[in-house]
Amino acid sequence: MPDITLRGIAKSYGGDDYAVKNLDLVVPDGAFMCLLGPSGCGKTTTLRMIAGLEQPTAGTIAVGDRVLDSVEHGRYVPPEKRGMGLVFQNYALWPHLSIRENVEFGLRMRKVPGPERRARAEEALRMVHVDAAMDRYPSQLSGGQQQRVALARMLAINPEVLLLDEPLSNLDAQLRLEMRAELKRIHEESGATIVFVTHDQLEALTMATDIAVMRSGELQQLAAPMAMYDRPANRFVAEFVGSPPMAIVDVGPEPGGLAGSLLRHVAARADCAPAAVGVRPEALRFGPPPAGAWHEEATVEAVLPAGSSWTVRLRVLDTDLYAVSYTPVEAAPGDTITCWTERMHLFDADGARIAAWDEAGVAA
Amino acid sequence: MAVVTKAEAPPPPKPGRRRLLYRLQVMRHDPTAALGLILVVVLGYLVVAPLVAVLSDAARLQYGDEIHAGQRPGEWTGYYLWRVFRSQISGLLFWEPLLNTLVVAVGTTLFALVVGGGMAWLVTRTNVPGRKWLAGALVVPYMLPSWTFSLAWLTLFKNERAAGQVGILQSVGVRTPDWLAYGPLPIIVTLGLHYYPFVLLLVGNALRRIDAQLEDSARILGAPRRTVVRRIVIPLMLPALSSAVLLVIGRVLGTFGTPYVLGLPSDYRVLSTGLFQSIRDRSTGVASVIAMVIVAIGVLIVLTDTRMMREHRRFVTVGGKGAMDRLSDLRRLRWPAFALGVVVFVVSVLVPVLTLLLSTVTRTPLDLSTFTLDYWFAESLPGAVGFPHGVFRGSELWAAAWNSLRIVGLASIVCAVLGLLIGYVVVRGTAPRVAAFLRQVSFLPYLIPGIAFAAASLSLFAVARGPIPALYGTTFLLILVMAVTHLPYSSRSGIAAMTQLGREPEEAAQIAGASWWQRMRRIVFPIQKGALVTGIILPFVSGLKELSIVIMLTTTGTQLLTTLSIGLVDYGYTQLANAVVLVIALVSFTMTYLTQRLTKSSLASGLGG
Repeated sequence: MPDITLRGIAKSYGGDDYAVKNLDLVVPDGAFMCLLGPSGCGKTTTLRMIAGLEQPTAGTIAVGDRVLDSVEHGRYVPPEKRGMGLVFQNYALWPHLSIRENVEFGLRMRKVPGPERRARAEEALRMVHVDAAMDRYPSQLSGGQQQRVALARMLAINPEVLLLDEPLSNLDAQLRLEMRAELKRIHEESGATIVFVTHDQLEALTMATDIAVMRSGELQQLAAPMAMYDRPANRFVAEFVGSPPMAIVDVGPEPGGLAGSLLRHVAARADCAPAAVGVRPEALRFGPPPAGAWHEEATVEAVLPAGSSWTVRLRVLDTDLYAVSYTPVEAAPGDTITCWTERMHLFDADGARIAAWDEAGVAA
Repeated sequence: MAVVTKAEAPPPPKPGRRRLLYRLQVMRHDPTAALGLILVVVLGYLVVAPLVAVLSDAARLQYGDEIHAGQRPGEWTGYYLWRVFRSQISGLLFWEPLLNTLVVAVGTTLFALVVGGGMAWLVTRTNVPGRKWLAGALVVPYMLPSWTFSLAWLTLFKNERAAGQVGILQSVGVRTPDWLAYGPLPIIVTLGLHYYPFVLLLVGNALRRIDAQLEDSARILGAPRRTVVRRIVIPLMLPALSSAVLLVIGRVLGTFGTPYVLGLPSDYRVLSTGLFQSIRDRSTGVASVIAMVIVAIGVLIVLTDTRMMREHRRFVTVGGKGAMDRLSDLRRLRWPAFALGVVVFVVSVLVPVLTLLLSTVTRTPLDLSTFTLDYWFAESLPGAVGFPHGVFRGSELWAAAWNSLRIVGLASIVCAVLGLLIGYVVVRGTAPRVAAFLRQVSFLPYLIPGIAFAAASLSLFAVARGPIPALYGTTFLLILVMAVTHLPYSSRSGIAAMTQLGREPEEAAQIAGASWWQRMRRIVFPIQKGALVTGIILPFVSGLKELSIVIMLTTTGTQLLTTLSIGLVDYGYTQLANAVVLVIALVSFTMTYLTQRLTKSSLASGLGG
């Protein structure tokens, strides 16, 4: 199955305000691609353009050799001919049709004969575990069930491309956890290419094979989840991905306090002049530091246990930092402890990431 | 592995034309844009064009006026403005009817305000016995055609001055002076009886929604009950009161039947009957000027209302819990209060209906020895040349009923479908300007009293223009005008229904592979079935008793129930006219009642007549 290619895609709703600016993106065949970003970053617009529900102002969208949109060549394929699946944020089940009819609708449009249609609808509903509610109406189902039906409705037509617009955002925490695993399983079973929109970085990290982070209509970084977490392309990605977020300290013209301490440590070991230095909370450790690690005395301000982990708010010189520990923290507020790290992220004046510094020196 | 590829700029040869080609491709697959344009043209033609035509008729010399004006037909002229506003007959043509209109409007409003406001308080805020029953019963007058009351009035008070049988009082020997039989007083009372439910509904709704906590707070801070009413309740009621006042004035401005029936015998003219007269006299130019004045006043009223509503929105009184059901205990006055409510019901419903009914079954008023069913069923009625048989005999009533059913029914269907399509384009469409145009223009008829709009339509459609033949006297014209005058309600509810549905259900069908027609047929219209049915029934019910709009557009070939009844009044066939209006009242009441039961729609949000 082919890749989805977006080339030079721009979208404006009139005027100079661009929802999406010159986006280039390739979703590889079979990928589980997540479009991640804060609200208003253009991720849903991008998804809807792939589906054909919105039209780009410029650029080309193609699946393999099949051009779906090309503003420059005057080519357009309407949504109903694209053969994709799209699950809406609010599910958009048809209230006047039963669950079975909802799922059969796409097959009916494809003129699939009755017996096969029924069989395929039942199979799709079995796949999402709502086959028992087949003859009910959408209003009689719970939110989680409706969500599954919306998914089954799209799975029934067996699309090569499945688009999901924040499908988990209306579910409660327990269901969300369950559906994440479910979606991952469905991705593997169906072999479809999935493009998934979310503002929840945890969702992206747990499910996606590739993440595209967007901000104000521009692509910030495209990478595999852990690669993005370890090597964020810029300050925005560094702060958006990860929770609690990476602490980033600006190095002013006369760096003092924590900034000065971090900078002196980097400068002594590498030949670069970062404008900002970032530390991930879980990279900040307590206790006697290993040789070559940056370390500083810190005051414990608060300890927030969360069962499996402990979040600690520290005052380090002139700055508050969060640290996450996966072993119990035996300190009380007001105690002084030593904190250290072997891994920092260095950013230049424009916010782009220069490098990560770790115990082995400066690495890419 | 995913990679970011930089666009290697593809050579776009003629970007402008290609882009256009792309847009055309998109439009070809999504008819919403085309549908929007069609609707813009249709609304432009049906709503805007008549207004332009009436303006042009007012400012250009009509055939037949060459000698008086000293200009050639078709030339621009200020002749009609002069004639209406400044000439020697301007008093008769315009100023007197204007003054009369104001008197009637103010009088009716006061009447409706006192009765409606009082009754609203009684049924929403007191423990009067039989509240529920009163609340329903007191709305009934609004379900009857407004001129039912004027016919009943004539049946009671008429003297020898006008043609036809004298009223009941006169026939038992009580002389009824002209001022009691005709003119402003009876018009104000009968219109007031029809419009007080309007005030009752608006004010009652507002009273019900005032948060009782607001009153409680004032009480806790030490305000006596009177002060609470004066300082808290009445100020909070102001938006509803001002709205009710303005809407009643607006309705009275455009009402035709009552001032026609009760004003004509004593030459008491208001703007609407003056307009009708001018059109009857074929003075198109003068009629156009009067129509414009009515339009202008109507627009002014609605704009004032919107303006005031916007200002009042600063204090929203939609209550949470604790609202309503904090009732004043009337104590010893409970039963007298109930009696008062019953009196209002008796005077506004029972007396008129029974009077009309009684008059149709006796030859001489009140003399039961002359009991007869001839006016309903007789094969031949001696003396009634224009209608020589009972109403249920002969073809007139049945033909008129069939016309009413057919014309109003078709108009309602057109109206509902148009409303839903407008809603579809407004919600679904991608062109904000088209959406804004449709939204505003479809609401425009709301500003214009029906009779003025009918006059405007007459200006446009009376003569052949371009490819469109003259439509005067055709059922087609009646259907168009009726549909357009109800468009504000249907387009509003269409937009609301479509907004509530959102675009996702249709988009989901699109993704699933359904073409536009399939989406309309299988998704959008089935889901909106309820809205469509309501959208048909509401205009239908109000259209059945409509007179002001149709009076100028019907000819002998397109008689409706309402115009048939007015025609019988013109002949002086009191009993027959009363019989027909009873038929209309019965049908109209039954339909309104059933509609409310079936659709659970509130009359307050509904339509006017």
